[in-house]
Amino acid sequence: MMRQAGSLILALAMLFLLGPFLIIAGAGLSAGDILVFPPQGLSLRWFIAILDIERFRVSFLLSLELAIVSTGLSLLMGVPAAYALARYDVPFRETMRTIITSPVIVPAIIAGLALLRYAVIPLGLPVMAALILGHTALVAPYAVRVVSVSLTHLRVDVEEAAILLGTTRSGAFFRIVLPNIKNGMMAAFILGFITSFNQVPVSLFLTGPGISTLPIDMLGAMEFVYDPSIAALSTLLALLTILIVLLAERLLGLSRYV
Amino acid sequence: MMPAMVFVGIAFLLPVVILLTEGLRTADGWSLARYLTFFSDGLSQEVMLRTLRLGFGVTLASAIIGYGIALTIANASALTRSRMTALFILPLMISPVARTYAWIVLLGRTGLINKALIGIGLTEEPLRLLFSETAVFIGLLQLFLPLMVLSLTSALENMPSDIIPAARILGANWITIFFKLILPLTREGLIIGGTLVFTGAVTAYITPAVLGGSKVLMLETLLYQRISIANDVATASVIAAILIAMSIVTHSLIRRLTSGKRSS
Repeated sequence: MMRQAGSLILALAMLFLLGPFLIIAGAGLSAGDILVFPPQGLSLRWFIAILDIERFRVSFLLSLELAIVSTGLSLLMGVPAAYALARYDVPFRETMRTIITSPVIVPAIIAGLALLRYAVIPLGLPVMAALILGHTALVAPYAVRVVSVSLTHLRVDVEEAAILLGTTRSGAFFRIVLPNIKNGMMAAFILGFITSFNQVPVSLFLTGPGISTLPIDMLGAMEFVYDPSIAALSTLLALLTILIVLLAERLLGLSRYV
Repeated sequence: MMPAMVFVGIAFLLPVVILLTEGLRTADGWSLARYLTFFSDGLSQEVMLRTLRLGFGVTLASAIIGYGIALTIANASALTRSRMTALFILPLMISPVARTYAWIVLLGRTGLINKALIGIGLTEEPLRLLFSETAVFIGLLQLFLPLMVLSLTSALENMPSDIIPAARILGANWITIFFKLILPLTREGLIIGGTLVFTGAVTAYITPAVLGGSKVLMLETLLYQRISIANDVATASVIAAILIAMSIVTHSLIRRLTSGKRSS
């Protein structure tokens, strides 16, 4: 009895969590002109149509560039930070940790507004630069955390052995530590990329006419587009994400780092 | 170490701190007047209450459903368990915009739910399901339930597996087992999951923006509206302070609970 009740709860929860994706995919596959489920006939026309929509193509490329640059930058700063926190007796360690993880605590919409008012407007900072600043800060705590996890699996004495055998400290870092935390860094890159690519609130105030990220563009389009194009686009994004996550899980064991 | 800290400090924290000071200033210098105005305003009170109501409501609902799911998963074999865990992580990775959009298709005037309701004769006119607090509640629950499930699942995994059969043999019923054994032993997981869900829900933007519209505002959508309609930075700064304060409280709770385990 208990077991059957449990399976029922599990099935209902799965339906609740994953069902909406099926609905969206179904609506996106519609051959008709309006957004409905069940679809009016099946066709791939909306999946083809969205590839032709100029504004989505432009904002997709911008989101892609933004996610790659921000995640790259956050790793460049996050790896040494995670290493220093793990290995050295840094002064004010807790204060430093708090500052680096603060982007997790401050809601992103506030950071976006603050960057707009005190960096973009008074300093004349280009919007793209402000977006990169915001996204890099937002991804940095994740980069530090994921890399820290993989550093805890690396024994300190391996480095020390290398140093005893004549390598310098930096030599040990580049030739022993980095190769060993490669998987963790890749996992951090994928998680950071997904976080940045899907991020809405920090970009909300920073994007404007002419420059916009894909999720912001989709949010805007939802208000006046009543055809299945956004459903098709959402489906495509979901499928792409699932593919990346499954690949990363298989190759790196991504869920160990989440 | 230093570059990351300096970067986050200057590019992120500094602007946020400046923004926070704007709510503490009026033309004649420092004052709490903006806060008093905000807290005595009818709309702000309504939005604050709604935000807290949705936050607690979604947390409670996800805890109840989460225990149901986590207890079922905990009984499964190791392989099924890791597959199930992956299934609950997956939705977290998918764009929240895409996840929220599905509810427009489902809850709209010509959506599946309304069609079904009309079909079985429960209503003749389509119900207004979108742009309601219920729609926002459903959207938030779908967004954040996985966090609770994952947190409870890992808490249950750390529980000795033979204590439930032992309690059964000694004659305890399921209600006693849940309240006397499972709940106390997974308390930390529940609090961690709960704070994650709660912070996620009260600081949500996309869900209330898409499913609540301009009528069902939450704190973040109110902040956005104050800036985009009136450029009212002072009010935005007050809302920012409230959101950050809530976030700090919940995060320090999580930290206190997990700090003991980190060292191991």
